[in-house]
Amino acid sequence: MDRAYQRTRILTNHLIPNSPAQTVCLTSNECLSYSPPELSEKYAFDVGEMRRLMDGHDVEERDRLFGLIIQSKLFNPRVRGGKVFVSPDYNQSMEQQREMTWKRIEYLSERGVFRGWMTGKGEDVEMKRFACFEVLGLFDHSISIKLGVHFFLWGGAIQFFGTKHHHDKWLRDTENYLIKGCFAMTELGHGSNVRGIETVTTYDSNTGEFIINTPCESAQKYWIGGAAKHATHTIVFSQLNINGTNEGVHALIAQIRDADGNVCPNIRIADCGHKIGLNGVDNGRIWFDNVRVPRENLLNSVADVSPDGKYLSSIKDPDQRFAAFLSPLTAGRVNIAVNAVYQSKVGLAIAIRYALTRRAFSLKANEPEVLLLDYPSHQRRLLPLLAKIYAMSFAANYLKMLYVKRTPQSNKTIHVVSSSFKATITWSNMQILQECREACGGQGLKTENRVGHLKAEHDVQSTFEGDNNILMQQVSKALFAEYVAAQKRNKVFKGLGLEHMNKPCPVIPSQLTSTTLRCSQFQMDALCLRERELLNRFVADVSQCLARGESKEHSFNTNYQLAEDLGKAFSDQAIFQTFVEAEATLAAGSLKDVLGMVRSLYALTCLEDVTYLRYGYLSVDNAAAVRGEITKLCSELRPHALALVSSFGIPDAFLSPIAFNWVDANSWSSVQH
Amino acid sequence: MASSVSSQHDEVLVEEKSFARILTLNRPKQLNALSFQMVSRILELFLAYEEDPNVKLVILKVSILNGIVMGGGNGASMHGRFRVATENTLFAMPETAVGLFPDVGASYFLSRLPGFFGEYVGLTGARLDGAEMLACGLATHFVPSAKLPMLEAALCEIDSSDPGFISSIICQYSEQPSLKPQSVYNRLDVIDRCFSQKTVEEILSALEREVVDPRDDWISATIRTLKKASPTSLKISLRSIRVGRFQGVGPCLVREYRMVSHVMRGEFSKDLLEGCRAILLDKDKNPKWEPSKLELVTDTIVDRYFSKVKDEDWEDLKLPVRSKFNLPPHVVAKL
Repeated sequence: MDRAYQRTRILTNHLIPNSPAQTVCLTSNECLSYSPPELSEKYAFDVGEMRRLMDGHDVEERDRLFGLIIQSKLFNPRVRGGKVFVSPDYNQSMEQQREMTWKRIEYLSERGVFRGWMTGKGEDVEMKRFACFEVLGLFDHSISIKLGVHFFLWGGAIQFFGTKHHHDKWLRDTENYLIKGCFAMTELGHGSNVRGIETVTTYDSNTGEFIINTPCESAQKYWIGGAAKHATHTIVFSQLNINGTNEGVHALIAQIRDADGNVCPNIRIADCGHKIGLNGVDNGRIWFDNVRVPRENLLNSVADVSPDGKYLSSIKDPDQRFAAFLSPLTAGRVNIAVNAVYQSKVGLAIAIRYALTRRAFSLKANEPEVLLLDYPSHQRRLLPLLAKIYAMSFAANYLKMLYVKRTPQSNKTIHVVSSSFKATITWSNMQILQECREACGGQGLKTENRVGHLKAEHDVQSTFEGDNNILMQQVSKALFAEYVAAQKRNKVFKGLGLEHMNKPCPVIPSQLTSTTLRCSQFQMDALCLRERELLNRFVADVSQCLARGESKEHSFNTNYQLAEDLGKAFSDQAIFQTFVEAEATLAAGSLKDVLGMVRSLYALTCLEDVTYLRYGYLSVDNAAAVRGEITKLCSELRPHALALVSSFGIPDAFLSPIAFNWVDANSWSSVQH
Repeated sequence: MASSVSSQHDEVLVEEKSFARILTLNRPKQLNALSFQMVSRILELFLAYEEDPNVKLVILKVSILNGIVMGGGNGASMHGRFRVATENTLFAMPETAVGLFPDVGASYFLSRLPGFFGEYVGLTGARLDGAEMLACGLATHFVPSAKLPMLEAALCEIDSSDPGFISSIICQYSEQPSLKPQSVYNRLDVIDRCFSQKTVEEILSALEREVVDPRDDWISATIRTLKKASPTSLKISLRSIRVGRFQGVGPCLVREYRMVSHVMRGEFSKDLLEGCRAILLDKDKNPKWEPSKLELVTDTIVDRYFSKVKDEDWEDLKLPVRSKFNLPPHVVAKL
């Protein structure tokens, strides 16, 4: 009966118009819509306070520079999904990118951003400069490098290799960009081994001039940022031959272009050509053909040549002279290291914000799909990297402070720490950006989404300003030297964070509970234990080689694997130390609690490193406990992910469309505009 | 179907026209200065309309800016999706002259104007006409006042909320007005150079350096205006706009609420009282500001305006919780 009634009703509705609308049985699914993470995630702590802790200094200065960039048309503002983003147009030709980079520098110079960068003195000025570079690095690597070459390398050489008459003549013009400087050290045949460069300079006492020459093709200067198009002057590194003696590597000033941009006589310049990234920097190659420069152009803070051609230096030992010579370059290395932290922050902010709005697969039918960051596997990919960047951030602030407060006695420490941190942070930057790219899937391939493109732009970081592998080897050599010195000093270790070696060797408990694993003392013990044991081993193995009559260099080369492991152990421990110190400055509260979890996640990720099992510092059971705790920490930090990336203080305009309403950013109506 | 649902005493008049609702501010004797009753009533109506599928368009007859729109009037209109200016429109945020600061979310919409025009408009209280508003983005459309009745009628015929569709209807009555030759909007290069400076003092110095041609009164007038304004107002306004540049509209409102609470409580300065007295009551136009000079307004003093009020009975502004789903994209972009 029911069936007949139903059929009759249906037929009636077909035949009689204007019948009351039937309840529709089919409802369309609501289209996938974007919901901003701010609406569903909560901030458990004051994000502004965390930002001030992480940036460490010059917050207002950074915000001012952010504002100058965002509000100017020169920085390629584009609207996507109703928001403005700034990022260079990487689709422009190499020539156009170079021109735009230069126009942006001119604009910033006019706005007084560089005031005091060369003529000002003191810690405040130097910290402010670091802050500005960190901001510029968020916009584009090319502008950062061009300015770095001009101010840190060219300007730094004048400041630290030059003397008063150089400062008076060049610093103000450098600051006002009346001249454009570059830095000709690297050659086609020599990069890491600066002492082996082949450019040669002699002295003509009749005219009081130095003569600079490129004797063969391998001696051409290569990768000289700014040289291909814009630079008017350069620092030239060259062997100095005085009266038949090679006095080693020295630095001179040479003009390479006139005010109209024409290349000077006796100088040949060629372009290094298109690169996989960083095409806003005009890298050039330079040949010197009997270029004559006045005697005053020798940068003479360490050594000099008298008018009648005598070589003079207060430092007799050529090795020491060379070391004194190169130590001012540390500023550039520090700048690279601390900058790399911020690029990782951009990648993580984008990837995590995206993962808080992008869904894939439902666990049960008819349920909404799951947010990417709700998957334990996705948390595992991104949150340990977030913890790592927090650690690197505190390490970078420590490094900056160490540098600006430098004394002659702290120079060696600064060299070791800056080498270690530069290598560790830039390698980590590549790792983080790659993971972030993958975590954004296909969207990570779009240049305008920034995450993927950042990788190519910053790849150079691992090999310039010191090849990372060489830098880490230098760390292990310095630790070796410190060990030997300590033995002579009644076995008391002082400096380079090795003081823990004076205490008894820490013991790892056989059972690792959650409480122990999260305890900062345990974490420090585990990191110190590895450094201590590896240093002991390294010294023992190198000493064995030396005892067999091998040279120091050969002994180090043979034990390169231990050297690598030791370098990493030193870095992890030193970085962790800075994290603990930053955490200690906080009053009790939710911010400190969350930061403590981040610190634990960083530490335990270090303990997952293969060296702990390779050398038996952790048992297999220990390692399993560490692994399990990491997973727990990831899920506990998941609710804080948005707050943690918001604390980076990066304005929305410096992220990318997939960090916001990526549905609207891709809508048809936005295509039409 | 048209019906009116309001009485003589209502400060907000409501008309229902098909899928559109027309709200008209109704305090003509007070130049439509916003009152608590007006704001409450508008909020009540907005919350109801958001849930009501039969309402697809709300016309706030301030968002059709056919006349003076200043201060609170901007608060009511500048956050709307469409702002229609006419040849009669006169816009200003004149708060620094009376000891307040550009509030009502101005730190959001002024900071998004091109270059540093927002700083200029907020600090000087400069008046802008309809053409200038369109040029800088404060207005979305310009429609001659004669065509307003036709525009309103056309809008009341709509049956869709689609912003593209509504914009196209407004465009049918729109024009592209030209800027007057002496318009400040033609001086953006000078404005950017000066108002991008770090502090109010440096902005003034930069302006003073720009006075080259004595016949060019505009720069001198700008300097005079800044020198007459409350030093405290200038400094907190500048910081408010600069900080607001990086915040969504919600955080801007929360922050401005803290600032206005401090101003109203007169904890650090009584400039608002003095400004109202000199400009609005006694009209001697000679306010005695305290602190009287820019140098006396330190960063620490400015910081205090941005912190929470230390009072048990005070709490931060709590905005209504919005639904997570189906927020229009242009709203999401402002969060």
